Amino acid sequence: MNNPTAKALEIRGLTKAYPLPGGRTVAAVRDFSLRIEPGEFVTLLGPSGCGKTTVLRTLAGLEEPDAGEILLEGRSIATLPPHRRRIGLVFQNYALFPHMTVFENVAYSFRIRRTPEAAVRQEVAAALKAVGLDEMGGRLPGQLSGGQQQRVALARAFVMKPDLLLFDEPLSSLDAKLRVQVRGELRRLQKRLGTTALYVTHDQVEAMSLSDRIAVMRDGQVAQIGTPEEVYSRPASLFVADFVGRVNALHGRVVSHSNGYATVDVLNHRIDVPMSHVVGTELLILARPEAVQLRKAAGDGPVGVVEELEYCGDEIAYRVRVGTVLVVAVESALRRTWNIAQGDCVGLHLMQKALHVLPADVQAPMSEREIPSDDSTSMEAA
Amino acid sequence: MQVARTAGIAPARLLIPGRGWALAGLYPLVALLLAVFVAYPLVDLLGRAVHSDGRLSLTPLANLLADPYSRRVLWNTLSLGLTVAVVGTLLAALYAYAMTRVAMSWKGPWHFLALLPTISPPILMALSLILLYGRRGLITNGVFGLQTTALYGYWGLVAAQVLSYFPFAYLLLLNLFRGLDASLEEAAGTMGAHAGKVLTTVSLPLLAPGLAGSALLLFGYSLADLGNPLLLGGDYTVLSAQIYLAIIGMYDIPQGAALAVILLAPAVLLFFGHKHLAKATSFASVGGKGSIRHPQNRNPAVRAGALLLCGGVSMVIILQYATVLAGATTELFGINYAFTAKHFVLALTTSRGALLDTIGLGIVASAVAAVMGLLVAYFVARSRMPARGTVDFVANLPLAIPGTVIGLAFALAFNHRPLVLTGTALIIVAAFTVRALPYAIRSAVAALDQLHRSLDEASTNMGATAGQTLWRVLLPLVRPAVVGGMIFTFTRSVTTLSAVIFVVSPHWSLVTPAILSQMDRGDVGEAAALSVLLVVLVLMVIHGVPRLMGRDWRVGING
Ligand SMILES: Nc1ncnc2c1ncn2[C@@H]1O[C@H](COP(=O)(O)OP(=O)(O)O)[C@@H](O)[C@H]1O
Ligand SMILES: [Mg+2]
Repeated sequence: MNNPTAKALEIRGLTKAYPLPGGRTVAAVRDFSLRIEPGEFVTLLGPSGCGKTTVLRTLAGLEEPDAGEILLEGRSIATLPPHRRRIGLVFQNYALFPHMTVFENVAYSFRIRRTPEAAVRQEVAAALKAVGLDEMGGRLPGQLSGGQQQRVALARAFVMKPDLLLFDEPLSSLDAKLRVQVRGELRRLQKRLGTTALYVTHDQVEAMSLSDRIAVMRDGQVAQIGTPEEVYSRPASLFVADFVGRVNALHGRVVSHSNGYATVDVLNHRIDVPMSHVVGTELLILARPEAVQLRKAAGDGPVGVVEELEYCGDEIAYRVRVGTVLVVAVESALRRTWNIAQGDCVGLHLMQKALHVLPADVQAPMSEREIPSDDSTSMEAA
Repeated sequence: MQVARTAGIAPARLLIPGRGWALAGLYPLVALLLAVFVAYPLVDLLGRAVHSDGRLSLTPLANLLADPYSRRVLWNTLSLGLTVAVVGTLLAALYAYAMTRVAMSWKGPWHFLALLPTISPPILMALSLILLYGRRGLITNGVFGLQTTALYGYWGLVAAQVLSYFPFAYLLLLNLFRGLDASLEEAAGTMGAHAGKVLTTVSLPLLAPGLAGSALLLFGYSLADLGNPLLLGGDYTVLSAQIYLAIIGMYDIPQGAALAVILLAPAVLLFFGHKHLAKATSFASVGGKGSIRHPQNRNPAVRAGALLLCGGVSMVIILQYATVLAGATTELFGINYAFTAKHFVLALTTSRGALLDTIGLGIVASAVAAVMGLLVAYFVARSRMPARGTVDFVANLPLAIPGTVIGLAFALAFNHRPLVLTGTALIIVAAFTVRALPYAIRSAVAALDQLHRSLDEASTNMGATAGQTLWRVLLPLVRPAVVGGMIFTFTRSVTTLSAVIFVVSPHWSLVTPAILSQMDRGDVGEAAALSVLLVVLVLMVIHGVPRLMGRDWRVGING
């Protein structure tokens, strides 16, 4: 936000349906609204097919929206062709020009604008240096590794100093380690230049680590928008909670309430939540695995049996059966207090500060749905 | 050459270990056949061209090149080839663009009609052009009352060859346009390039190798064409026709051989130019799978233009075929348009031998080419046989050689000892097979690519005997590509004129030379009837055989 020329983006009621063969259509984006402040980094996070790419492509002018407005610093750009929009797009497959050298790829936008040669050299050299490719200018994209190609794509987008930068899952074809590395570089570049950015991914870790704010998308609409912390700790729905991380969704029922606190029956035990609800209301208590603490001896909380134990190096995950419900708890491997083993009887403690309460809607609580599959993968965002 | 692509794949032990040895025993036989039927005739031909009075000499070639008339012919050949290459590529590119990038109706029919000439004898185009625009042509004479010979010569040849051969370029460019990564153009757009700039900086540079390849392809087809130059050339003589006249008209074999060698030179240059081009400019696709969803141009003017182009070209093609059909069903096209079936009756009686021979020898050749193709592909790509590079080279050589040259080389080489085949069916089958072999190898490579060594291991592992593995696993996998290759060989064989004109005999006659001689005699109706029968036959094979087999033959050919 240190860039005084950074622009705000406002999307209002964006709607787009694709025609299918046979005269039908598929609604890709429905009444989508979002505001991005100047210099802000916002991520669209959602499962594959929820319309993320479509949003980016309509912003870039590559698809025509059926309805809705796109305002860049208050000016509507919806009718401009792509080359007039000054919006950079980093494609999922990088879209590097295979017949041009790395240098020429990055210089492309300058060549189009007929920038003087000296300035081009300077800008491109700086951009290549920024992504650590100053030696590679003379190569063809085909002679680079995947990570290097990715960096060329980033340099090419940043160097044109667009009003808005769009990224469509740019890291998805890199291996895990490289992904983390390039992720950091990308964020630093964006911070330094202060360009307003909209980033698309289906990887919640990527979204959290990069973004000022995250817009979780579902079926072409925004399910929730907020800072990574808000989205993680106070998800607006079970869908959001589930998509941004592992979660125990426990069924609860209000048994009594007094001055702003409701006492809720969860796992046959009482906890207090700071909310007033009518007695008898069904609730969903969301507890992240790290909000569940295990104790060797049964305390005054629920008691369960450790069915499975997963050692992941930095942390240990336990699956604990409490009656018919499976609860997942994780503990930092270093802080491991008890030597808990499979089959042990443990007491559970739900950290009240870290719980989040949702009205129980039509969806069944996660943990109960989980029981038959006995597999944690569906609890993590796929 | 074609198969080198897969050489990196671990050689599958085709079937069981022992069978590998059985196959290895066939290697010398395959090499011998290639030596006798590809290398030997060409060497024999070259030898004739560089011999004079029994001594090694370049005089015949030098004399030819010094002779003003021959130089005219050479010049004619090259300028016709160049025109056809440029006009045909332009037409094919526009057609392919309209088909891939413009929102247009009836793409199915436009595609089918554009491809129709690829399965017809090129001589058919000459025939219908004569019927429409010749001295007594329906349009020139019938409609405009002209008595003109303007059709005969350069422009008639350009029209006939462009119509006959642009579909091959269209097919090539269609795949290219479809495969072009759409996100590259979009990326250029987001970086500030307007449509024109995107075209000149991204699309055209990426398509350039393909366009050049298409031009080289068309140039090669034009060089090799014999039927159109014979029927439409008039005073405009090109090399292939000159060879024909030298051999058939003047029995001047040394002259014919020398001309053939001169025709060979540009053809071979083209071939290697093409290969080099493909290698030098094939940009490795970068960064994973691109998008092939190309936006469809909806600009009304562009749509109208595209429809006009595709519709117009399709109409011209329909007119060509309709004219041949009309010529086959009227008393005497141009003079008496009364309906008659007599030409078909005649075609089915007097030319019955030619029809049956064509079908029979075509079938035999496609089977032989399929087996040879599989063997060569296996030995070159999946075995460690000695000299397999040479085998590969020789087997693919016919790609570079015009049909006229192959035909002449066969006729001359197998007319003297040690191997006299003149007048036999074998020489025709061999000519068909040799011409089709490079394509058969390509299909076979595609087929072998379906076979991973783990397949037969898995099958054996599950308790299948070698026979069951062959029957239930390997054959079904190989079949579509091999059948596709066979259909292609058959189509190519029965429609070629240039490769067989010198090897047919009274005992074994073929349809295309029969059409040519009927045209010569003025039996236009019978020639048209035979052409119609040939097209119907090929259409039946192309659409019928895969249906009988329950597969799409194109699978095999594109591989
Ligand atoms: N060009 C298109 N034609 C038809 N349907 C499309 C097209 N592009 C996307 N879709 C459909 O629209 C929906 C949203 O797609 P997309 O925006 O690509 O989602 P995401 O990027 O979140 O995976 C999907 O159901 C997809 O199948
Ligand atoms: Mg997407």
